[in-house]
Amino acid sequence: MAQHNQVAQENQVAQPSQLPQPSQLPQPSQLPEHDRDIAVVGLDCAFPSAVGPEAYWELLMRGGEAVGEVPQARWTADDLPGAVRDAHRTALMRGGFLADVDCFDNDFFALAPREAAAMDPQQRLLLQCAWRALEDSGRSPVDLAGTDTGVFVGVMGGEWGRLRMADPEQVSPQLGAGSSAGMAANRISYHLNLTGPSMAVDTACSSSLVAVHLAGNALLSGECDTALAGGVNLLLSPALGLVYSQLGLVSPDGRCKPFSADADGIGRSDGVGLVVLRRLADAVADGQRIYAVIKGTAVNQDGRSNGVTAPSRWSQQKVLQAAYRRSGVTPEQISFVEAHGTGTALGDAIECAALGAVHGVERERPCAIGSVKGNLGHTEGAAGIAGLIKTVLALHHRIVPASRFADRENPQLRLSERGLRLLKSPLRLPPGPVLAGVSSFGMGGTNAHVVLAGAPRAAGRAAPRQSGAVGVFTVTADSPEALGRNLAAQAEAIARRPRGSVAALCRSSNRVKTGLPYRYAVTARDTEELADRLRRAADDSADGAGGYAQRPWTKPVVAFLFTGQGSQFPAMTAGLHRESAVYRRHLAEVDAALAPHVGGSILDLVLRGDEAVRETGPAQPALFAVGYALAATLGELGVQPAAVIGHSVGEFAAAVVAGVLDLGPAAELVATRASLMQQLPAGGGMLTVHVAPADLAELLAAQPELTVAAVNGPADVVLSGPIAELDRAERVLAGRGGRTARMKVSHAFHSPLMAPAVEAFRAAAATVRPGVPRLPIASTRYGAMLGDRPMDADYWARQLAEPVLFADALDALLDEVAPTHLVEIGPRPQLLPLAGRSGRSAGVEFLHPSPGPEATGRDLAEVVAALYRAGLDPEWGALYPSDLRASERLRPYVFATGNRYWGCAPAPRPAPVRTVPEPARAARTAPAPAPRTADPALAVVIEAVLQVGGHPPELVVPEARFYEDLGFDSVMIMQLKDGVEARLPQAGEVSIHQLLPALRTIGSLAELYGELVTAKAA
Amino acid sequence: MTRIDDPAGAYLAAVGTALPGEPVDNATLGRLLGVSEEWIDIFVGTRARYFAWDLETGEVRRTLVDLCAEAGARALESAGLEAADIEFVVLSTATPDTLLPTTATQVADRLGLDHLPVYQLQAGCSGAVQALDLGRSLLAGGAGAGLVLGGDVTARHLDVRRDPARMPTEELVNYVLFGDGAGAAVLTAEPLGERVAVRGVLNSFAGLGRPAGQTVDWYGVSDRHSERPMLAEDYKAIEESVPAMAVEIFWELLDRVGWSTADVDHLLPPQLSERMTARIVEHMAIPSVHEVSCVSDTGNTGNALPFLQLERLLPQLADGQRAIGVTVESSKWIKTGFALEKV
Repeated sequence: MAQHNQVAQENQVAQPSQLPQPSQLPQPSQLPEHDRDIAVVGLDCAFPSAVGPEAYWELLMRGGEAVGEVPQARWTADDLPGAVRDAHRTALMRGGFLADVDCFDNDFFALAPREAAAMDPQQRLLLQCAWRALEDSGRSPVDLAGTDTGVFVGVMGGEWGRLRMADPEQVSPQLGAGSSAGMAANRISYHLNLTGPSMAVDTACSSSLVAVHLAGNALLSGECDTALAGGVNLLLSPALGLVYSQLGLVSPDGRCKPFSADADGIGRSDGVGLVVLRRLADAVADGQRIYAVIKGTAVNQDGRSNGVTAPSRWSQQKVLQAAYRRSGVTPEQISFVEAHGTGTALGDAIECAALGAVHGVERERPCAIGSVKGNLGHTEGAAGIAGLIKTVLALHHRIVPASRFADRENPQLRLSERGLRLLKSPLRLPPGPVLAGVSSFGMGGTNAHVVLAGAPRAAGRAAPRQSGAVGVFTVTADSPEALGRNLAAQAEAIARRPRGSVAALCRSSNRVKTGLPYRYAVTARDTEELADRLRRAADDSADGAGGYAQRPWTKPVVAFLFTGQGSQFPAMTAGLHRESAVYRRHLAEVDAALAPHVGGSILDLVLRGDEAVRETGPAQPALFAVGYALAATLGELGVQPAAVIGHSVGEFAAAVVAGVLDLGPAAELVATRASLMQQLPAGGGMLTVHVAPADLAELLAAQPELTVAAVNGPADVVLSGPIAELDRAERVLAGRGGRTARMKVSHAFHSPLMAPAVEAFRAAAATVRPGVPRLPIASTRYGAMLGDRPMDADYWARQLAEPVLFADALDALLDEVAPTHLVEIGPRPQLLPLAGRSGRSAGVEFLHPSPGPEATGRDLAEVVAALYRAGLDPEWGALYPSDLRASERLRPYVFATGNRYWGCAPAPRPAPVRTVPEPARAARTAPAPAPRTADPALAVVIEAVLQVGGHPPELVVPEARFYEDLGFDSVMIMQLKDGVEARLPQAGEVSIHQLLPALRTIGSLAELYGELVTAKAA
Repeated sequence: MTRIDDPAGAYLAAVGTALPGEPVDNATLGRLLGVSEEWIDIFVGTRARYFAWDLETGEVRRTLVDLCAEAGARALESAGLEAADIEFVVLSTATPDTLLPTTATQVADRLGLDHLPVYQLQAGCSGAVQALDLGRSLLAGGAGAGLVLGGDVTARHLDVRRDPARMPTEELVNYVLFGDGAGAAVLTAEPLGERVAVRGVLNSFAGLGRPAGQTVDWYGVSDRHSERPMLAEDYKAIEESVPAMAVEIFWELLDRVGWSTADVDHLLPPQLSERMTARIVEHMAIPSVHEVSCVSDTGNTGNALPFLQLERLLPQLADGQRAIGVTVESSKWIKTGFALEKV
């Protein structure tokens, strides 16, 4: 504790108070002791025969093993020196090997093939593992970009570098970076843009548990808010096996048999594993799912023991004691210890002596022990994380897997006398708090121990039933193929769940599965439907039908179209009201604003299905309420209009959204308008005629009492006037073959018959001072953009009696704003069909959040899904009930496996040096044909790019961008410059300053060189 | 064996149910069976039921495992518990998907449960209470939480593709009486979630020497062409005995938990059919008690019924309120019931 406090003080001193973002740097001294808990919120791993946490757990629970023959690509029997004893020869040809370690989705990380090929495959495994672990923690890795997230990676093998860098001829900057063990962590930080501490840790076999220790300390000292910790190990040569062999530590059958009477040495294995760590309080606050909690960690050293590679019982004892002390726990509370357990006679004896000395206290039941090395072998640099992930999963599932080879327990270890019990069968953990430990010891004497506890449980309150609640499930990927692959993976995982609600799953997908360029989004109400829709989308992609995947380059430009009178009906938007809390809230808000002016709740009238809503008096306030609430709901979901247009009375809600009118005054105006119009003597009517306005001249001349009330489209006109005149017009037009329809209205709106209401309304509107619009408004009174003309009393008074020039106003809006999406704001589609018939909206998508009597919350969700696919980043939270349970774990990203980079083919002996690998993909294709282009500069640039990057030739086109598409970095740019200039000496040497502006695409660079050559020649 | 109230705690933390597809109304069913809607209404009274198989083709769309897993997952979710918290499973059914593996183990697998005792009981209308009874014993034996389930499917016992005109009336009744469904409840040793204490459970075989009131048969390879009816009921015996037995169960439960009729706020009566249930409630004649029934909307779903009733009860059960559930299994006459109290 004293040590920690000292660290804390030093940290405080080291942090100048003017450092930016103080909120992200909690002062360590403010963390009370019980806040030293670290939550394990995400994890991912790959071990031989067990790729992914699910497969790993399955391997452990069935007591499976992962030991096999060494793959040809790693080494062959010929690689072993002659001096190796025959007994060890077989052993050195066995181990645990990850399949397909040459596969790497370099395109996902925008890494050029040649760079990918030069990278230590340990770095490649870590990159993919990091992405998946972060997703598993319930956050999109894209969202963590730029944060102070730390990366701590245990890695003890530098074999890639030793093998590749041995030949000075083959050295390149890519190989240099790709071969450095130190880059293992830095790569992750670079590609995910994580700016917290980032370090590779090498303490031999304890590296990855020491990395966890360092990550925990970094979180506690406030250096970072999230940390990735773990390790990696790949066997690329038999070298370390030979060392074990000479030390007499190698197991003849390649298996570790921890604590067994048959224990006879070490078998080596591949592995990679990372956990995502947060301070517990942060994880709880952010609603992250917690696998287990790290109570405390300790690291120490043997010091000058019996030899630099010999284990020390005393130091092992001390590291256990230190970890327990720091965790505030006592040994008898520990239910289970995942031991280092290499399965060497001496190592097992020393470890059990140390474990016994600590745990052999008065206790109810012995401390269970086991070691995953019985299943996997010794994963060395990843050994500690293998044990940690096993223990975390055991606490999560509340069952500890049996330890393989425990059935022949070594009696010499006297486990029962020492308060220990080797797990011969799985141990079901009792309900309530459970503590476990994980040990990992390094050959050089650096020991680590971690104390873990089960995840804290929220107080048992019944979760609200989310049954049937709609959600939008999102999936994104870096290419159409990847989207199809990941849709299939999600479909498969969701289909395996019992049928149930999807809201929490969808909410989690919005948090985790967003952020990559190709977007998919779908609505669903239960898991069965969701799995089915995802499956169909994945199948569509397999058929090459496409269309489901969108790669938006820009944000959608949305125009809101507010519907006018005639669209109302009893119980309009009731389905949405039932399902959307946000809509309910906004409708209640506007209802309250209207209530004093309409003498009661218009909302009640609408929702109870009252037929009275068809009358002008209630209809106009009701439509205003629906329009306002729909627009506000969309706004809260992050859908902000770029422009608005309102048809007749729809202009009031539009004016509120555009900031011209406040809600209260607008509500009063609408109520007054409705009341004045309702009071007019009945007798007038309206007639829709599907005739071009120009063709009505003769008719209107013959019937001067008729007026044009609205021009809604090229052949959508509404006439207003006395009933008898309308009857006559109907007959005349019918005689000419014109289609007409009588509207169900009580009055001749937008006609001179409205005159008695105009002056009264002008007077009422005079009290309202219009604001300046925040958004472009297309005015249906002017049939044009409003511009800087005021929406004042005169505007509103005339608007009542003058024709609605919707067609012209919409044209103006389409010209001025060029919307990508028209969203109708009203209870059923009325304006969108008009827009469709106008012939002006080709390529514009039509959306409706509540399209008619059958509409539900699903229609609103469909609007959000469509806009998300088109590039909007919605405020997803507003789509779901606010009491939605935190999050669900989703299957992590499935990377492409088509690209393989290895080149470990054995060189002919005795040559000690292997050739630097060509990218396998490049090798598969025939030698790149000389680029066929008439432009010599372009040909040269393409040739040089192919040489530096090793890309497939079809990607190296003039449009290809260096950074985004080809994964070039500054080193590769310098190599490219050298390559081009060597081929084009006539261009002379180009300065970096000259080069920079041209480094956009292959084409732009070729253009520069082309110009230089021409200039020099001139 | 009868169990009476004991001091060890058992609580209902949550209930989940699953009904497959869309409800099938009497008009649809009447059309398929060639009987009038009125006939169904008068003799059975059930308005709707659900089937996990396609009425037109007989194709099985959802298995009992599907339905039980859905109900179980809902119960777990509502209780705020995870698979790792569950220490036993008891599932009761008369219509398992396969004899082996048991539906119970298949459901455990679907719910991600491992290394725990999984029981399957074979029972009819009393099954849910039997499962509750066994669950209570397991909690008393030290378990912290467990899942009890019940469900039935009719796909093997009903076949609308048969010519309904050739069916005797007593067989036709089965088609309008039964439905498919499943239910589940999370039982906990400490009050959690809904916090409904199980104060008493009655589970008593009472059929010594009595002929079966209901037979649910099955065929195998050797007798697959048998003409034996798959479902048979002695309606006279049922109509005569069930109301009387229901009254006995009610009083026996009250006696054991020491309540008077005035202490009971809700009654969950047997759910044979809408008509029978009404008759039973009338016969029980308990003043001012609120009846919680589901059969008219779900049909007789056998082992699922008490869970469907419980799901309707929970939102209405106020703190301190008490409920009595009564079920009678008329196959070989089993008296079961339970007494609940929200704490």
